[in-house]
Amino acid sequence: MATLTLEAIARDFSDGRQMRRVLFPTDLVFTPGELTVLAGPSGSGKTTLLSIMGLVLRPSEGRMRLDGQDVTALPDEAAAALRLSRYGFVFQQPMLIEGLSVLENVRLAFSVQGARTPAGFRKQAEELLASLGLAGTGHMQPRLLSGGMKQRASIARALIKEPSVLLCDEPTSALDAESGQTVLEILKRIALEGERVVVVVSHDARVFPYADRLVKLENGRVVSDTREGSPAVQETVA
Amino acid sequence: MRSLTAWRMVRHDRASTAGALLGVVSIVFLVGQQLSVLFGLLNYMSVLVDHSGADAWVTSADPRNVDAANLVPGRIVDRVRGLREVEWAEPVLVGSGLFRTPDGSFESVRVVGTRRPRLAGGPWSYAQADEGALLDLDAVTLDRLDLPKLGRPALGSGTEIGDRRVRIGAITDGARGFQGTLVFASIDKVAEIAKTPPGRYSYVLVKLREGTDHATALARLRLLLPEYSVFDGPELARRTRAYYFANTGIGGSFGFSTVIAVLIGAVIISLTMYTAVLGRARDFAVLRAIGGRKRDVAVVVVAEALIIAGIGIFIGFVMLAALLNATGGSAIPSFFPSRVAPILGAVTLAVSLLGSLVALRVALRAEPASVFH
Repeated sequence: MATLTLEAIARDFSDGRQMRRVLFPTDLVFTPGELTVLAGPSGSGKTTLLSIMGLVLRPSEGRMRLDGQDVTALPDEAAAALRLSRYGFVFQQPMLIEGLSVLENVRLAFSVQGARTPAGFRKQAEELLASLGLAGTGHMQPRLLSGGMKQRASIARALIKEPSVLLCDEPTSALDAESGQTVLEILKRIALEGERVVVVVSHDARVFPYADRLVKLENGRVVSDTREGSPAVQETVA
Repeated sequence: MRSLTAWRMVRHDRASTAGALLGVVSIVFLVGQQLSVLFGLLNYMSVLVDHSGADAWVTSADPRNVDAANLVPGRIVDRVRGLREVEWAEPVLVGSGLFRTPDGSFESVRVVGTRRPRLAGGPWSYAQADEGALLDLDAVTLDRLDLPKLGRPALGSGTEIGDRRVRIGAITDGARGFQGTLVFASIDKVAEIAKTPPGRYSYVLVKLREGTDHATALARLRLLLPEYSVFDGPELARRTRAYYFANTGIGGSFGFSTVIAVLIGAVIISLTMYTAVLGRARDFAVLRAIGGRKRDVAVVVVAEALIIAGIGIFIGFVMLAALLNATGGSAIPSFFPSRVAPILGAVTLAVSLLGSLVALRVALRAEPASVFH
């Protein structure tokens, strides 16, 4: 279980001549057991926010805490170690490494830093793949899988270490409607069963019904923050 | 897992792997081939010294190489024999002459005269007949590899060298010199051919008694013959090779072609690995995003370079061995000392790693944030 807290997180980018603020000071708390959707049009700052939450981008201002620990400005190695131990990522494209089998791609989540995979990994991975509808595909090359199967394999890579935080960037945008629905159902189940922080970035309205919480961004600002079955906790005008 | 990832990438990215392999194989094969010719020529330079079986060579004072020694008087043979450390001392006379081929044309040859019955400094390997043939005053040997050049004279046939009648008594195997065709004959026949003054020789070969301390014996020889030079075999061979290496352009020529071969190989490796890593930039960003450190990415890229280098070095040496095997008995000088193989392998490995540095820089620049579109 983990709680991810953002305190006045902001981010500036330079366009070569001047600094441009793409994310204005944002306060958000993500709690386990909840699937949060970050929604908004292109350029609204949702991917920047996700990158900061995933420790692959440092904020220009503000603080971020994971279970109370300040993780805002961790050195590269410490950030990598934290991503390895606590985070899972699902990207817009499956981003499985061609040449490695599905099982080996999943195994990377354990041993990308050279560590040995734990005993029982194979059984655990095969069970996980089976639970995602990928039974018997462990030995296959990613190119032999459909788009939906690849995305589910990438979810398996993200979940194999049972991360406390699962960050997903447009996980359904490259999938057909049926595959997208399957992936969202899996993510919803993961959030609830695993007591994880699950954050999904999407601008696809078909994703919203699966959200326990919907955070909308526009022009780098949170404009609404609502929970399923409850009124908006924050409603601002950009 | 990082090495496995590298192995899988190498296997999957076949086009770039083949390109990088070509670079590694080029280095091993081309440099190996150049070196084998160079070492083959170096062997030719000192062939007489290397196969003489003598422990010491007495020559005129300070010759630049074994082929550039002035004549020495025959009396020093008896002076050398007077030393108790000496088992035997034999003169050798080297000159040159024109060999009349069966079609009537002439070919320059180098004649080496040895004294019967020991024939010290004479041929060491025969393709036809044997050293007994040289007990005949008119007999000469020709080398198997020189026969085409000399018009393929038949064994036992007669001809002339330097207007002197000779008979082909034996065919040697691999007795070839750097300065041209080597023809062995009796010392008196060579004196006739080369028209040298009587009782003068090119060198005196010395065999020391068993158990003698060579350094002490050589020192005594030098003391006995202060106006002459006394060398042990390896020293004279080194001096001869160094002279030809530095003064004939062979060193510069082979050095230049070797450097070019290494550079071409390095450029091929560098470009193909750069392209391969560029194509994998997204994968390296994924590795970083899911928890890989820069050093983990470096391990994958370096492991790729090592795998490609290992396979390429193996293929290169197999091809080189096939070439050496094919040219071993031919007129092409080729000799590849076994001690050079690990050095060539290590240099190729180092060049492969250097070639992967550009690719490594690209891989290390992969930003984990780039995986979020």
